[in-house]
Amino acid sequence: MSESTTTLRAPAREVPLFSIRRVWTLAISTLTQLVRMKTFYFLFAFAVLLLAIGNFNFASSPAQALSTVKKVSFGAMDLFAWLFAIVATALLIPRDLEDRTLYTILSKPVRRIEYLLGKLCGVLIVIGISLSVMFVVCAGMIQWKEAGYIAEEIGTTENQITEETRQAILLIQKNGFHPELAIATLASFMKAAVVASVTILLSTFASSSLFTIIISVLVFLVGHAHTMATNFWLAESDNSIVVQMLLKLFKIVIPNFQIFSFSEGIVQGATVMPAAIWQMAGLTGAYLVVFMLLSLLTFVDKEF
Amino acid sequence: MSEPAVEVSNLTKVFSTGLSKNYVVAVDNLSFEVAAGEVYGLIGPNGSGKSTTMKVVLGLMAASKGSAKVFGYESGDIRARNEIGFLPENPYFYKHLSGEETLKFYGKLCGLKGSELKDRIAELLKLVDLEGAAKRRLGGYSKGMLQRIGLAQTLIQNPRLVILDEPTAGVDPVGSRQIRDLILKLKEDGYTVFLCSHLLEQVQEVCDRVGIIFKGRMRREGTLDELIRIESQTAMTLENASPELISKIHDLISSDDAAKVIEEGHPRTTLERLFIQIADQNRKEESA
Repeated sequence: MSESTTTLRAPAREVPLFSIRRVWTLAISTLTQLVRMKTFYFLFAFAVLLLAIGNFNFASSPAQALSTVKKVSFGAMDLFAWLFAIVATALLIPRDLEDRTLYTILSKPVRRIEYLLGKLCGVLIVIGISLSVMFVVCAGMIQWKEAGYIAEEIGTTENQITEETRQAILLIQKNGFHPELAIATLASFMKAAVVASVTILLSTFASSSLFTIIISVLVFLVGHAHTMATNFWLAESDNSIVVQMLLKLFKIVIPNFQIFSFSEGIVQGATVMPAAIWQMAGLTGAYLVVFMLLSLLTFVDKEF
Repeated sequence: MSEPAVEVSNLTKVFSTGLSKNYVVAVDNLSFEVAAGEVYGLIGPNGSGKSTTMKVVLGLMAASKGSAKVFGYESGDIRARNEIGFLPENPYFYKHLSGEETLKFYGKLCGLKGSELKDRIAELLKLVDLEGAAKRRLGGYSKGMLQRIGLAQTLIQNPRLVILDEPTAGVDPVGSRQIRDLILKLKEDGYTVFLCSHLLEQVQEVCDRVGIIFKGRMRREGTLDELIRIESQTAMTLENASPELISKIHDLISSDDAAKVIEEGHPRTTLERLFIQIADQNRKEESA
């Protein structure tokens, strides 16, 4: 009946089996979603915090004041990055499922790994932008304070700069801004990326966002005692095959967040070994691959 | 003959309930085909397996046994999904996006870009009569508007098959009629439509063929004409028939020259009555 009067639709054009464009589309959509959830309001809170600590005289010397500003601001940046990675990631997938948005996305020519990667990238873009803005604000504040303190030191001398003043200026400069602080920010970003990938894995099978958040925080905390825990078990155990296997499983399942801890040293003025940066980048990449593959394993056959 | 748009063969879907090792058979050895270009309606009460069947066709669920194919591709294959536009029951899209952004998002997922995507969005917004609300966020859309933008997103990549799950659920009569008209328009434009609905009158209005499913099994299937025809009865439509003639009609009809039989055939029931009849029958079978 209808066949005689209507022309049937032509077959759809071919679609690539994997597409970076689809991942990017999902990432940008996640970014838009998080931005419209007023996520960046956190940046205002950060700016206020920074202004407060910058203008509060709680330190006995300029060097100490600068050191405190750095510690608090970079600590806040790090806290924001990993906490945001957990909360945002834990909320995104269950919300898509609850709102059935996932149905319409996955019924389009989208692979499940593309969906997971899109969500991860979206969260990481938000964290990346936030950390960059916070770093710039922070760097500006430290440099401004540093310049002020140096001017004060110079101002106290009448004719020429004494050795004592030179030493004081050097101390201020040591505790002031230095480009290595960008490495500390990068470490916070990479740590957040690993945390987000762990959270994605958990949210692919967890029944609630709350469960995902709690377990992710636990993994994060245990991951900071990685070396301590493995050394303890190795010392205490009889090194049987079972213990060895459990240790290996622990090492794989719980990421070692201690690899990012050298950033605290950077903030305190320590120099950075390039090998440590490469090790951190390499391990971050490896963790991301492992956790995304595990996420795919649990998500690929998930029924909706 | 062209390849069927949907081919479901001996599909069985079993769900386990918790840790108790109890099983629920949601779909039981179901087989049917949807021909390319037709509007096929799958009707059944809540829990009859309609949505499960749709989800298997879409690849959102895996079959426990049997198979489902879309234009020859196994369901779940990305090429099968490329041929499908799906509108779930009560669709909720990202509320933070506007109507236009929603179509852009789904269009990009389907590989559209540039002026092609822009033109397609404009065309679809016009089709679903939402040009005026294109820039408004979906959070402010009414149920009917959401359903229409949902229908537009199903068509964004020009799929050959459109799957609609309860397309008029919760929509007011005016919105419901708009959606009905859109489905008829889709048929005219050569789309294959596979829909589930509780609104039997609407199914009767738009569907070429209907399958009635109960407890995961196909009870009746056929064209609307086949399904609603009552074989044991005959109806006559008369012209210029007087009341007297009507009273004597069975005796006189062959001898009265003034009365003319205009139409003779099988009177129709409605799909709704047929559905209730099958439901009653089903209940009796279960209690027996």
